[in-house]
Order: sequence, then C-alpha cells, then structure tokens
Amino acid sequence: MSLLQIAEPGQSAAPHQHKLSAGIDLGTTNSLVASVRSGKAQILTDAQGHGLLPSIVHYGSELKLVGAQAQVLEASDPFNTLSSIKRLMGRGVEDIKQLGDNMPYQFVEDSDSKVPRIKTSAGNFSAVEVSADILKVLANRAKESLGGELSGVVITVPAYFDDAQRQATRDAARLADLNVFRLLNEPTAAAVAYGLDQKKDGVIAVYDFGGGTFDISILRLNKGVFEVLATGGDSALGGDDMDHAIGEWIISEAGFDNVDAFLSRKIIIASRQVKENLTNKESTDILIENGDYRWQGQLSRHELEALIRPLIKKTISPCRRVLRDAELDKSDITEVVMVGGSTRVPLVSKMVGDFFDRQPMSDLDPDQVVAIGAAIQADILAGNKADDSMLLLDVLPLSLSIETMGGLSEKIISRNTAIPVARAQEFTTFKDGQTSMAVHVLQGERELVADCRSLARFDLRGFPPMVAGAARIRVTYQVDADGLMSVNAEETTSGVKAEIVVKPSYGLTDSEIETMLRASMENAKTDVVARMLKEQQVEAHRVVEAIDAALAADGETILSSDEFNDIKQARDRLEREIETADTETLKRLIKSIEKSSETYVARRMNASVKQALKGKQIDEVEIN
Amino acid sequence: MLMLDFKQNYFQLFGIPVDFHVDKNTLKAKQQALQARFHPDLFVNASDQDKRLSVQQASHVNEAYQTLLNPVKRARYLLEINGLELNDETETTSDTAFLMEQLELREQLDECRDSEDPISCCDEIADKLKSRAQQFADEFVAELTAEQYEAARLISRKMQFIYRIQEQVMELQFNLEDELA
Repeated sequence: MSLLQIAEPGQSAAPHQHKLSAGIDLGTTNSLVASVRSGKAQILTDAQGHGLLPSIVHYGSELKLVGAQAQVLEASDPFNTLSSIKRLMGRGVEDIKQLGDNMPYQFVEDSDSKVPRIKTSAGNFSAVEVSADILKVLANRAKESLGGELSGVVITVPAYFDDAQRQATRDAARLADLNVFRLLNEPTAAAVAYGLDQKKDGVIAVYDFGGGTFDISILRLNKGVFEVLATGGDSALGGDDMDHAIGEWIISEAGFDNVDAFLSRKIIIASRQVKENLTNKESTDILIENGDYRWQGQLSRHELEALIRPLIKKTISPCRRVLRDAELDKSDITEVVMVGGSTRVPLVSKMVGDFFDRQPMSDLDPDQVVAIGAAIQADILAGNKADDSMLLLDVLPLSLSIETMGGLSEKIISRNTAIPVARAQEFTTFKDGQTSMAVHVLQGERELVADCRSLARFDLRGFPPMVAGAARIRVTYQVDADGLMSVNAEETTSGVKAEIVVKPSYGLTDSEIETMLRASMENAKTDVVARMLKEQQVEAHRVVEAIDAALAADGETILSSDEFNDIKQARDRLEREIETADTETLKRLIKSIEKSSETYVARRMNASVKQALKGKQIDEVEIN
Repeated sequence: MLMLDFKQNYFQLFGIPVDFHVDKNTLKAKQQALQARFHPDLFVNASDQDKRLSVQQASHVNEAYQTLLNPVKRARYLLEINGLELNDETETTSDTAFLMEQLELREQLDECRDSEDPISCCDEIADKLKSRAQQFADEFVAELTAEQYEAARLISRKMQFIYRIQEQVMELQFNLEDELA
C-alpha cells in the first residue's frame, strides 16, 4: 500500500516504479528463483524457507505435486514421479533410446510427434510440459514474495545447450505464461554474480558441473563488460552419471539380478545419498531393502573416487579445448569459479585445481550463484538500473552447418562466434525451372552429417522458375542473443521472398504448443480465482505490516487516542479476516483502512518533511 | 533508435584505415563500444520493430568484427570492396606447384599420427605453414597496393588453403595432447 510508505526526502521513493523481475535457474536436480530487492539479489524461498526446489514433478491420477512433495514419492511411485527431466529437453525419440537406460519411465510409443512423451496416471507429458510445471511454481513463489506480477524473467540454460534444447526451454516458459527477457548461459550468470560482487576485472574460467550437464566457459571481465571468449562442455554429463556409477557398483556388489523400476529408483536415491555423505566423510554405510532382501554395504571415499574419476576426467578435455579456442594459456586465467552441485565432490575441485594450477573459488554457494546472476541481469533488463552499464556478450556454443553433397557438413557459423550474428549464403538451382530446394541445418563440429545434430530441414519454395544456375537464392541464417536460430531466404535476381517451411528435427511444433496452451488455459481459469485471492491476502499482510510499522514509529505522537483506536480497529479486523475472507471482502477492508488513515498519512508526510529539513541549509533542498 | 549506416564498409564502421594490417585490440574495443549501443539486451522493453533492428545491427557489428579479425576473410573482404565479385564455391587455383605442395603437406600430416614423435611432427608442419601464411600475406599486400586485384585474388585463395590446413593441424595437435594428458 503506497499510501503509508513514505520515503525520506532525498531518497529514491516510488516503489511502484520498480518493475518486478526474477532470475530462474531451471536445473536438472534442483531449480531456484532469485530477485533483486532493495538493490541486493536474493534467493526467494517457499513458505518453509527452502530456496531449492527439487526439479521433480509427480503426476498422480488426482494430484499434481512439484518439488519436495513430489520427491517423497520418487521411490514408491517411480512411473508417475518425473525427475532429471532437463536431460530430455530438446531431445528426440531416438536420443531417448540412448538416455533411456538410465530413466525408469514408460515412453509413449508410435506417436506422430517428434517429442517423446512420458506415460503417467495424469496423462502423457513431454519434458517441456514438465519443465513448465516447475517454472509455474517458481514464478508463483516470486509473485508471492515480491507481491505482484513479474514484468519478465531471465531463465538460465547450460552454455552448451544446442538450438533444440534452448527452444524447448523457451517453449516451457511460453507454456508457463512467462515473459522471457532472455535466456542466459549459466556460466555467464555465474560470472555476473561473481564479477559484480567482487568488482573484479580479468579472465575467469567458470567450471559448471551440474546434475545433468557440464559447461566450461572462459570470460573476460572488463569494466562491466562480460565477454565470453570460448565455451565448451558436454550437455549429457553430470552428477546423475556419478549416481549411476555408484548405482552400478551397488547392483554388482549386492548381486541384484532383476532390477525393476522401483528397485532402480531406490538404488539411485541411495547412490545420491552416498555421494553426498562422502563429501565430508571418509566412508559411509549403505542399506538397500528390496522386499524381503536386505543388502548392507560400505563405500569409502577412496573407492568412490575410483568409480567417478573417469567421469571427472571427461570434463578436463573440454577445459583444454576452450583454453585453446580462446587462444589463452592456463597462466592467463586469473580466477577459476566453481558452479553447480557436483563441484561439491572433493575430487572434482582437486582435479580442476590440478588442471588450472590454482585453487578454484567457491565463495558463493555453487547451487545459488547462477540464479543470483540471472536475477541481477533480469533487474537490469526490466529497466530498473538505467545508469548501470553491464553488457553480456555471448557466443554460439556449437557451429551451425548445412548438409552438402555426400553427407558432409559445411560450416556456416563457427562455434565461439559472438552472437547475435547473421550470415548469408548463396545457392543456385541445378535444374531448369526449379522452384524449390531443401536445406538441412545441422549443429555440431563433426564433418559427417550423421555425427552432427540435425536442427531442422527447410523447404524453400515459390521462387520463380529460371534456367539452371540462373537463380540466386540467398539464405540468411540469424542467431539471436539467446542463441536461437532463424532462417530467411530470397531469390536475389527477382527479389522474391521464398516461402520457408520449417520442419524442426526435434521439439514441439507450434500447433502442439497451442494445444498445450489451450489445455493449460482451461486449468488456469480455476487458478485465476485462487490467485486473485492469494494476491489480496499478500496485499493485506503488507498493509497490516505497514500500519504496524507506522503506528510503532509515531502513532502515539501524531494521532489522538480516538484516531489511533480507529486505525487500530480497522487493522485488527483486516488481520482477523485475512485467511477466511473472500477477495472482494479483503479489497473492501483494505480500502477502509486506507480511508481511515488518510489524515494520518498526511500528517506523517508533513512531519517527515519537517524532520528532513531540520538542520539543512536551504540550498541543499532539492526542488523537484 | 540510432541506426548504423549500412553503406559504410566494415573498416569505416570500425573507424580504422582500409588496410590489411589491423590491430586486434582496437577491433575488440570498437566492437564492444558498438555493442554497447545496439545489443538486443538494451531493447528488451522496446517495440518489436526496434527489437528486430537491434538484432540486425548487433549482428552486422559482429559480422564485421569476425571479417576483420580473420586474415583470410579480411583479405577477401578487401577485394570485395575493391569491386571484385568472389565466389568461394567455384573458385579454385590452377597453380599446380602450389597444389602439389598442399597435397604433400596433407600427406605429411596424415603420417604424423603414426610417427615416433607426432607432436613435434605437427609442430614442424605448423611452423612451415606459419611462414607460408606470412609470405602470402606479404604478397597479397603488395598486389593490393599495386591495385593488381586479380593477382591478389589468386593469392587470397592460397591463403585460404593454408588457413584450412592450419586448422587441421591445430585440431590434430589438440587431439594428440588430449590423448597424452
């Protein structure tokens, strides 16, 4: 309630001008939301004070649960409780066959869609929808703790995410009805959190080892410019793989032959626990109960390290590669920043430290640093810091190519090129009267088409028929600041814009998204009523707090006892009804408080101005 | 919003003389100064039209930067602004001596892998390529200054060949070091 919030003269007031925004770290294992409040980026917590939201959604026949409540059901109801869903983002049905071994879900077979869907009691869901459900919970948490609608959000993605994975993240945000200012690369977000925190310039390496992805980026920080020099990684390597390595060890030690989905989940949950225990202990006990069979074992840190060393070793090669791509030597790196939960494993920080010849930094909580950086960027993009010059210059993580004759790929835009970027290429026709042609766009570094990732096939149609070789079709590939690609084509001799029919190799089609949106709108109608009530309740709490603060400060000095009691009564009435009244009643009660405190507000304003003027030279007072 | 003059060539855009020799630090500083005006992050709340323009102009700046940074692209671009029409697809070189040398270099590179000391074998080829690249760059500048654009075009083509092998050598060097580590 702005009426009672009187800012001291000389201080910036007008909280209503501050646009609400949030940074979201949509992680494989956990997700977070953060926002800048009173100039400081903070992790926003739920009612129980938890910042981390486990990235797990339970789709029961009657109930949908997200986060810790869903996590409880992981072992008992594995088919309906979906975790590590980020690993499926932007992935196709074929990819699932490779990843699928580690995922206990039942996928819908023979569907028309390019997007794999998981069978649950509540229906079939794609990774995009599951991610949207996680985003909705985070967005609501932000709305409630900030007390209003969000003008926009920044969502982080692994720097090494390809176009399909980025597009899937954008689609999830669209389903969650969020205005996305920008997708931000996780290492860049971490660098922002560190760089702005420490006001440092130099070249930093951000080693980001999360639950399901690994990224390494080299950035140069110089007077508020964060320039990514090179980025690399593995978008299918993470802490999950350590859990699976431990899990396999358990299975062989315990001699389990038939591991069903239930036992598999139990083993994975136990493995995760083992890994966490061994971050500060030398040895840990393991107990697995499967029906009547009980297996008890023990794993030492030394043994664990033997299991996971090959995985960590896989992260070192990309480190070497980004240094080379950035044309830098290890000694040029001024700081190594550790990000992601997996960097808590002692062997990780030891091996990374050994490689870079320096002690890695982990001053900021590796789980929180990405969301913090995203919140800072979101605040700036919302327009709250007009004079704060920060510039994030990112690069394309994987080269864009097209298929040429003989199944070979030809690079159009090389990896580590600064984005946004556009590049045009000219084609000509092979046959007389040819009016269409097909272009196959790929992403990846390998020479053979089969080794690259197929992004999309474009059919260019409708350019005028000419003799073979006369047409000049100029195809422009555009990569925007989010790292997302678009294409347009024109026949340059006639100026005819070719019609482009895009067939994304992965990902949802527009009509699929629309269907999902429609379904979620129907659910949303019932949600709207609940949300409006919730918003009024939050507002009511704020009003009560504001009144209390004001009355405590000067209520007894500038109000008569009648006036004081009137306000107090209105306040008490509101407080009593907060949890029980409907939206309209709450609105009315808040209005009535505003009315009965009008004189009070006016007097406070005068008193406050007098106070501020006291002892000041007249020329110090700014006239606005 | 401020608009870039798309008629300016990349050198003019970056405020540097039209010359094969460029200073990397100047290029970088100018690129960042231009991005500080056009980067899409500055237009998040702008109209769709301004958003599009910002992506377009920021892309133009980055494309200019990449072109001026890379010696082969820079050489080809210098020919273009001097009125030559270039076509990467169909252009070849008919200098048989040069082609022979290329074939030999490639063969040597293939043999490096199985040689006793693959790393120094690669280093040797890399050194050879480096001095050839320098030599061609000097020749290119001489022909360009003499306004012998057709001769300069032929040299730029050779620069391109050398650059490609250099990339292959670097890739092999990297893989070899990676295997040893």
